[in-house]
Amino acid sequence: MAARKKILPRILEILLIAVWVFPLAWMVITSLKYENEVVTRAFTFLPANPTLYNYIEAFGSTYILRWLLNSLIISLVTMAATFILDAPIAYAFAKIRFPGRSILFWLVMAGMMVPFQVLIVPLYLQFNSYGIINTLTAAILPRLAMPIGIFILRQFYEGIPDALEEAAFIDGAGRLRTFTRIILPLGKSAATTVIILAFINAWNDFLWPLIAINDSVRYTITVGIANFQGTHGTEYALIMAGAVIASVPELIFFLIFRRKIIDGIAMTGLKG
Amino acid sequence: MIPGNRDIRDGILFSLPFMVVFALFMVYPLVFGFYISFFRWNILGTPAFLGLQNYADLFRDEKFWSSLWHTVQFVLMTTPVLLVMGFLMALLVTGKSPLKGLMETVFFVPYIFSMTVVATLWAWIMQKDFGILNHIIRMLGGEGVSWLTSESNAMWSISIATYWWTAGFNMVLFTAGIKQISKEVFESATVDGANALQKVLHITIPLVKPTTILCLILQVIASFNVFGQVYVMTGGGPAGSTRVLIQYIYETGFSYFRMGYSAAMSYILFAIIMAISVIQYAVLGRRND
Amino acid sequence: MRRKLIAIIAMLAAGMMLFASGPQEAPAAGDGPIELKFWSLFTGGDGEFFDAMIEEFNSSQDEIHMTNDMVKFDDYYTKLTTALAAGTAPDVIVLHQARLINYVPSGVLLPLDGYVSEEMLADFQAAPLEACRMDGSLYAIPFDVHPIVMYTNRALLEAAGITELPKTAEEYSAAAKAVKEATGQWGSLIDNTTGTYKAYTLTRLFVSLVNQQGGSMLTDDLSAAAFNNEYGYNALVWLQALVNDGVNPNELDYDAAMNMFKLGEGAFYFNGVWATGTLEQTEGLDFVASPLPAFMGESAAWTDSHTFAIPVQKNQDPVKVEAAISFIDWMTGHAYLWAKAGNIPTRNSVLEGEEFHALPYRADYAAAVSSVVANPPTAAWGEIYETLSDLLEAAVTKDADPQAALDGMESTVNEIISRY
Repeated sequence: MAARKKILPRILEILLIAVWVFPLAWMVITSLKYENEVVTRAFTFLPANPTLYNYIEAFGSTYILRWLLNSLIISLVTMAATFILDAPIAYAFAKIRFPGRSILFWLVMAGMMVPFQVLIVPLYLQFNSYGIINTLTAAILPRLAMPIGIFILRQFYEGIPDALEEAAFIDGAGRLRTFTRIILPLGKSAATTVIILAFINAWNDFLWPLIAINDSVRYTITVGIANFQGTHGTEYALIMAGAVIASVPELIFFLIFRRKIIDGIAMTGLKG
Repeated sequence: MIPGNRDIRDGILFSLPFMVVFALFMVYPLVFGFYISFFRWNILGTPAFLGLQNYADLFRDEKFWSSLWHTVQFVLMTTPVLLVMGFLMALLVTGKSPLKGLMETVFFVPYIFSMTVVATLWAWIMQKDFGILNHIIRMLGGEGVSWLTSESNAMWSISIATYWWTAGFNMVLFTAGIKQISKEVFESATVDGANALQKVLHITIPLVKPTTILCLILQVIASFNVFGQVYVMTGGGPAGSTRVLIQYIYETGFSYFRMGYSAAMSYILFAIIMAISVIQYAVLGRRND
Repeated sequence: MRRKLIAIIAMLAAGMMLFASGPQEAPAAGDGPIELKFWSLFTGGDGEFFDAMIEEFNSSQDEIHMTNDMVKFDDYYTKLTTALAAGTAPDVIVLHQARLINYVPSGVLLPLDGYVSEEMLADFQAAPLEACRMDGSLYAIPFDVHPIVMYTNRALLEAAGITELPKTAEEYSAAAKAVKEATGQWGSLIDNTTGTYKAYTLTRLFVSLVNQQGGSMLTDDLSAAAFNNEYGYNALVWLQALVNDGVNPNELDYDAAMNMFKLGEGAFYFNGVWATGTLEQTEGLDFVASPLPAFMGESAAWTDSHTFAIPVQKNQDPVKVEAAISFIDWMTGHAYLWAKAGNIPTRNSVLEGEEFHALPYRADYAAAVSSVVANPPTAAWGEIYETLSDLLEAAVTKDADPQAALDGMESTVNEIISRY
């Protein structure tokens, strides 16, 4: 009885895990089939003749490696810049009592609710007048104005006891020194969350890079994959191969930083 | 609190870098977009001033209302389910199962994939003739389902893909909330003879309320902004039955190039999201304090 | 740790500047070929043939080098229009003839009259060329004409004992029923549901059928819908009946219809001529492509046309314009390569050439170009066309009352027109 009580939940859990993993497995399996084995009534689960044809086609006839590189550059730069911009203002919102602080804070938070579509046309015209359309810079800049990082960092910095700061002030440290020597090290875990989220969001961005970048060689991977789907019509096996290629870097990133990503997101909820 | 009180100077200096970027790439385009919403403009020619005409047209536009309604449908279909799923998953991964570490990873992993990948993958899984879902149903003796091409199913199918994609995010938030509850509370409940279900109902659920509120607010905003999944999976079909507001905004703006009208709709959506967030924050947040 | 971080950021910034720097300037005329940029929207089967043509163009001469960027159809006009507004469009673009009206009045396309020789123009078919002329000026050069045609699976027809292609709507319905009864396969594969694309086939057939009866979609002055009458009624009822009688699948999307026809699961299939090349590459499919039958009276078929145009640039380089014209001349003059995909060339020298006549079916349906239906020249047509696809989809898949559906379509179309 006791043994059965233990086994049944395990079986259910394994089933649940299987259901969750299955779509990803199916993506890989499809990508290893020839198209005529995919679009057929004679259904086979595993590929009859496993092939890397779709991958060879994807690497050979598109700039897919270059797209991955572009996405990587955009995501890394966004990640670094987000931190450099967000941490000081989050600190100001959390700890510095300056007039207009709460108005400014709510103004910035309101920015979180702006549907990005509203901004596309004005941004496009604006960037064009700066002459930076069709550059990776253009793909990066609007992301930096997104305030989600500030929200998370402020939450965390508010939790740091004032006493720690005051002790530093008494020792003669200035604001900047206190910020870099006390707040930033203490807020490392929150900062990690913010830059990881910034990375993921930048990597997954679709609509803006689609419009801001013209040359296919400068596409990001998400835009490239979406277009790639068009070049070859609806060829499911090929599209799935593209999806696998696009996902591998994200998966590696996740597996390396798994704990940090999950703990980081968890932290945003703690003080909610 | 600080020698020579330099709060004003420091406040400005620390806020400045971000505020410059924010002003340039958020506030300025937002104001410019608002200005555009009073014009008829195809972005190539000269804008013609219309006053409030675009906003007035909006109220008579059936497609606007139906798109808004589809968006609300999506919010209603996804928000409660995603909250419950996230909570149940969190219970699983904070329980005693030896598989909890694996479950946490597996449930969360879809969240890191891009919308393009998730949506194309699910569109393929749910493809009517050759998709795996219908192959399985047919092998079990059933008939293939029109997952994406029937009006009664399409929005649910998009929701299912969304559950798979984002439930893990809520799980992580709830997990954190549950872990914060002190062990003693559960232990004393065990001493009092409470069973597992009673503990969940009377301890866990009330004590994770702050997390629930946060999840709810984030989820409603995210669901209101839905676009990508719909755009890729059904293109708004069948017969426009899954066209959501952002898609209509996108179409009027970038397919039909009625920029002013598109901008006017964006501001209405913006106002709706703002209003809901404020109400949620006020009603739910207040009671919590 | 901190120094490392700073070093990384510095490296990233340097890398970013490297990648972010503007496109490499093309070498000045004189040394090396003239670099031209081109945006196209050809997907599926079309895409392969088009890429091959660009390659052949580049290797056929060394004065001009053309770089082609393919943009997915859904996003093409979004990108093109924003780029035109910003003055960052490439040297040559592709436009659907029906869309010219959305661009010409804003002055973003270069009038070509001064650049194209009379001799070259004389080689073009009159109708498609005239469609590119507005207010007396030529704004584009037609590359192809692509009307809707009928594809028939010969094996299924034979199995049902049918020897002739249907000529009227009644014959079509009867043949479709006969196939269904004799073979168990679908008689008719008209896609009627949004998938990767909207249910455009319904709109294309509806437009064709209304015109076959002598009607038109909009009034002559383009100020209102003109299909809410017996013409529209007949067309809609016929499209609905095919689904209701069980000879055409319900909830069928574009990709599914194409795939089912390829697999031999349906006797008749309708699509633009662009499907021909793809179907020919399908193993084991025995099919014939023919002009859209005069189902309801006169011959008339929906069509559109791909055209080449040259965007106005801030500093228009005449050398590049000349080069662009040479490119267009070459492409239209070698359009038998494009006809491999199924499209109909627009130049007499190509239409009369051996290469074109060596291809199956094309010559048959090319003759039918004389009866194609021109798209109404109004900026509202794009939105009308898309919206009608949604409304027809709802009417056919949900078996709506045809008169009520037509009333709804009419008022929606009039509402759209009033906003432009």
